[in-house]
Amino acid sequence: MKKVVAVTACPTGIAHTYMAAENLQMAAKEMGVDIKVETQGSIGAENQLTEEDIKAADAVIIAAATKVDRSRFAGKPVLEVPVEEAIKDAKGLIEKALKMEKPKDYVEKVEEIHKERSAQRTGAYKHLMTGVSYMIPFVVAGGILIALSFFWGYKAFEVEGTLPWALMKIGGGSAFALMVPILSGYIAFSIADRPGLVPGMVGGMLAVSTGAGFLGGIISGFLAGYTVAYLKKSIKLPKTLEGLMPILILPVLSTLIVGLLMIYVIGSPMKAIMTSLTAWLKGMSSTNAVIFGAILGLMMAFDMGGPVNKTAYTFATGLLASNVFAPMAAVMAAGMTPPLGLALATVLFKNRFTKEEIEAGKAAWVLGASFITEGAIPFAAADPFRVIPSIMVGSAVTGALSMLFHLELRAPHGGIFVIPIAVSNPLLYIGVIAVGTVVTALMIAVLKKKVE
Amino acid sequence: MEIKDVLNEKMMVFDLKAKDKNGVLEELVSVLKENEVVDDEEGFLEVVKKREEEFSTGIGYGVAIPHGKSSLVKKPAIVFGKSRQGIDYNSMDGKPAHLFFLIAVPDNSDELHLKVLAELSRSLMHKEVREELEKALTPEEVINAFNK
Repeated sequence: MKKVVAVTACPTGIAHTYMAAENLQMAAKEMGVDIKVETQGSIGAENQLTEEDIKAADAVIIAAATKVDRSRFAGKPVLEVPVEEAIKDAKGLIEKALKMEKPKDYVEKVEEIHKERSAQRTGAYKHLMTGVSYMIPFVVAGGILIALSFFWGYKAFEVEGTLPWALMKIGGGSAFALMVPILSGYIAFSIADRPGLVPGMVGGMLAVSTGAGFLGGIISGFLAGYTVAYLKKSIKLPKTLEGLMPILILPVLSTLIVGLLMIYVIGSPMKAIMTSLTAWLKGMSSTNAVIFGAILGLMMAFDMGGPVNKTAYTFATGLLASNVFAPMAAVMAAGMTPPLGLALATVLFKNRFTKEEIEAGKAAWVLGASFITEGAIPFAAADPFRVIPSIMVGSAVTGALSMLFHLELRAPHGGIFVIPIAVSNPLLYIGVIAVGTVVTALMIAVLKKKVE
Repeated sequence: MEIKDVLNEKMMVFDLKAKDKNGVLEELVSVLKENEVVDDEEGFLEVVKKREEEFSTGIGYGVAIPHGKSSLVKKPAIVFGKSRQGIDYNSMDGKPAHLFFLIAVPDNSDELHLKVLAELSRSLMHKEVREELEKALTPEEVINAFNK
């Protein structure tokens, strides 16, 4: 049996409160719906709803001409109407209330934002993100297997035939080797569909072999995609030969073009850029490392999974292919602190948050620990000018510390679950994340106003 | 205490003369004055009208329950009134009102009374009660309508 709970109230609290209640009860009985109605009349609240009542209810009806506190109905579908409505058409109200959807809880909200954002991506950014999303699993698999091989010592993989050697061969020699080709191939795929894959992946392999690295791979992906799109449009064949386009003409021609461009035009300058970038990143002074880490942190927190965040993330992930692991560590740590800091703030400074937000804080722990920065968005959306600066400061501190301590991370995702296997100094890393979390929470306490 | 204890046969008008909403309210409040429930007739009328302004107490089904809570009221009381011709009362269903319950409650009224009034309000939502009231011609019949 469906169960509804209701609250009725009116200004004088003498008549309407009770008539509305009676009407709701009569209508519910007729409809075979279980109902409990709390009346807030001049006598005070009668037939008060208990926590169990509310928990068991499928829907809540508030029929009141005065303000009724809704906070105790958090997470329930609430239909709020003037008290007269319940006197006029109680049956309709109950039907309507039971049809209402549960308000989205916090985790669902985050998922939705995630989906919306993916759908909103357009143009070059969308293509790049498609490539990145196909690349990530390769990096995860490769990075974690490499990290596992270090279990036997940093040099253990050098002994041929041993398990660490095999792990390194699988993770480093194969999975990581596919990273840039996959990135490049799927950027092209996003632009030109299937025919883009061949020149894209071949271009990506050339980016690796010429030393152009992931930046070269991004370029080869776009180059391949737009080349194929151009060829498709400009080559006109007689109908009888059209079948040759996808299996012969497009792959050969586009691969030839992209390949030659990669070797003779793009390879060398990109190699020079990658080499100096890698050298700069590896040989950075402490001051520069702190500044660089802080910038990565600010970017991670600024739009929580949006384009700025993804730029920092893609950059750090791409660098893994060049054996530069420190920015990845900074980026993941800084991406974890926003939800974690907010979660901590909901525990320490309850008066800054609504009841729903405090409830959401519990889930934010999990999202933060899983490196899902988007977990901060529902909080930020509610109070952007106080929440976003707070999480940016926390992430900047974390990013800076991570770079300062030369922490390295070999997997591009996974949050707390990869820390024990893929981070160079797990305890220190957790400490760095903890500092950022606390800083974020304190910033919230300073900036965010008390909720009435 | 039961509903019959708050209904006073001296405060029942079976043939309201008034033709409009304000007239009915005046007529009902004057009964309160006659029975020494209020001294300041004008003052209490204002209270009731003010309540009507928030939204009409014409609840539909031909029933209206104007009410007022005020220090002008010396003891809780109900005036029952019937209008044969029906009165345009801005009711929620747009139909004219035939049955009136004017409820007067002192500011510091005790819970017992309020509970009975709540009970009466609840009863009015039942069709059988309203049908009996429409038929009722004597105070006994009005009181009996609530005992069904």
